[in-house]
Amino acid sequence: MKHNPFIRKMLEKITEQILRLSGAITSITILFICFFLFKEGIHLFNNPDIEKGYGLYVHSRNPTIQLSPEQTKKVFDGELDNWKELGWDDKNISLFRIDDAFEIHSEKDLGENYELLPQKLSEIISNDESIIAFLPKKYAPSGASVKELISENIKIGDYFLGKEWLPTATPAPLFGVLPLVLGTLFVSIIALLIALPLGLGVAIYLAELAGEKQRRLLKPVIELLAGIPSVVYGFFGLVVLAPIVQKAFGIPVGETALTGSLILAIMALPTIISVSEDALRNTPREMREASLALGASQWQTIYRVVIPYAKSGISAAVVLGIGRAIGETMAVLMVTGNAALIPHSVFDSVRTIPATIAAELGEAPLGSAHYQSLFLLGCILFVFTMIISIVAEIISKKKNYKTH
Amino acid sequence: MDKPMIEAKDVNFYYGDFHALKNISMQIEANTVTAFIGPSGCGKSTFLRLFNRMNDLIDNTRMEGICSVDGKNIYDKKINIDELRKQVGMVFQKPNPFPKSIFENVAYGLRVNNIGDKKFIAHRVETSLKAAALWDEVKDKLHQSAFQLSGGQQQRLCIARTLAIEPSVILMDEPASALDPISTSKIEELVHDLKKQYTIVIVTHNMQQAARVSDKTGFFMLGELIEFSDTKKMFLNPDKVETQNYITGKFG
Repeated sequence: MKHNPFIRKMLEKITEQILRLSGAITSITILFICFFLFKEGIHLFNNPDIEKGYGLYVHSRNPTIQLSPEQTKKVFDGELDNWKELGWDDKNISLFRIDDAFEIHSEKDLGENYELLPQKLSEIISNDESIIAFLPKKYAPSGASVKELISENIKIGDYFLGKEWLPTATPAPLFGVLPLVLGTLFVSIIALLIALPLGLGVAIYLAELAGEKQRRLLKPVIELLAGIPSVVYGFFGLVVLAPIVQKAFGIPVGETALTGSLILAIMALPTIISVSEDALRNTPREMREASLALGASQWQTIYRVVIPYAKSGISAAVVLGIGRAIGETMAVLMVTGNAALIPHSVFDSVRTIPATIAAELGEAPLGSAHYQSLFLLGCILFVFTMIISIVAEIISKKKNYKTH
Repeated sequence: MDKPMIEAKDVNFYYGDFHALKNISMQIEANTVTAFIGPSGCGKSTFLRLFNRMNDLIDNTRMEGICSVDGKNIYDKKINIDELRKQVGMVFQKPNPFPKSIFENVAYGLRVNNIGDKKFIAHRVETSLKAAALWDEVKDKLHQSAFQLSGGQQQRLCIARTLAIEPSVILMDEPASALDPISTSKIEELVHDLKKQYTIVIVTHNMQQAARVSDKTGFFMLGELIEFSDTKKMFLNPDKVETQNYITGKFG
């Protein structure tokens, strides 16, 4: 076979095609995932802002035309209990849900297939000016004294700038992702602030100061750190770190943003260490020798020559570290307490985007607004990581002074 | 003979088990140019790097004997290596400017010496660049990257960088081997001029170069110093047959 140039050429051609095909498959898969993510996510904005198939009904004398999802939620939670606050007369709001109809009327009154229900509902509404009723459209009440509040589709602004994430609230679920986005960034940035100095320190130690023996011991340990499954990190965080944080700072619960950041910092360390150590090591020997030959001490050489030379590599390490932190799911889910609130301090409980998706996707009915909102969260995360990798790419290409 | 600037007495050097330098003794006078020649791996660069203790950077090496510069034993425990390297500058085989501007490259040695006086630095940068015959070529682009310069210019920049800290000795490890003939001749002229102020030791593969620039020449082979004498004598009438063979190109 070796001697037959024709067969060899054929084999080479086939191999080439297989390689090309695997490249194509990979790119198509990636494109397909993006397409799927965005396709599912974008449908969220076709959903009404109150539960599907339901409407809000008031007395026709009520001048209210429309309630925002927040207002609806507050009204039904009892936080808003007077129409005055919504710009009408000083009347207490009385809430009415479909279940309440069965307390007033017996099933007999409503007919066998509830065919009398809409009429009874109309009566109830026309008898009470201050009522607001949350009813299925199927049994929509009618008549001159009944008015349906306008319901719009979920607004993009409410999604991206909304401060509340209550995707399962009725009648109006709230899909404000701001707490999740801020929670993710908050935890990741704090993690980076912890991991960067530590990681850089270890990298400098390994690349510049450690002897062959120490390095041979430390490197595998650090690489091992990268191989530990994240759920194990989460477990460690939950069982060991959270109680420590709780005791050390005297706070009621240990599952805080800080705990999450600490775990993420530990998880980002191997990346930061190995990438920046490589960068430091890549500083040519001649650079170091030149500096030392000019009478610079070892430390002067490190911070005046080696670190500036490795700057782009170190920046890449930082960005990769953030990427690792932002996308991390399991460990964060386990230790941050998962309250979808905008964090105000490191001792607040936060919930990150990946944690939200992991925790809620199982409960969200297929195709529901909740389900789609989670996909859109996935899109946000995707955009984040894409920006990060683009930044990393730009930084590692930027070698301004280095190109000979 | 004056008191020697550089002196080596019974120097032995080992890379692990490898005996790289064998019993070498040599005296080098101030304000002379000394060339080391010899086949690759003969130990001439190793010997050169003893005098600014660059070999210390290599793990698992051992030195025996006495090396002194300006009368001081430089392998004495009390010696400050950083100070020694300020006194004994070095120019390397490959031009190795820092990834900084031309100005900052020359100023580097001053800055690590905690000299902050801007006027002084600017003045020293200028005189050093002039001494390295580079000033006219770079005076308009001092703040551009040193990597924009050609290889020969970079090497002269590295020389200027060394001159800026005013050493008394300059070690040159094949400074022209990576350069074209024109750049090489410029470096050689420079070496000739610098002799007035500095003691120069130059390692070279190029025998014509050794013959052109040096006052004295040492011929190394297999870790031994075979012959050390005036360059003229060395090239016209060497004592040893090995030297004769090497110079006439019979081997190496």
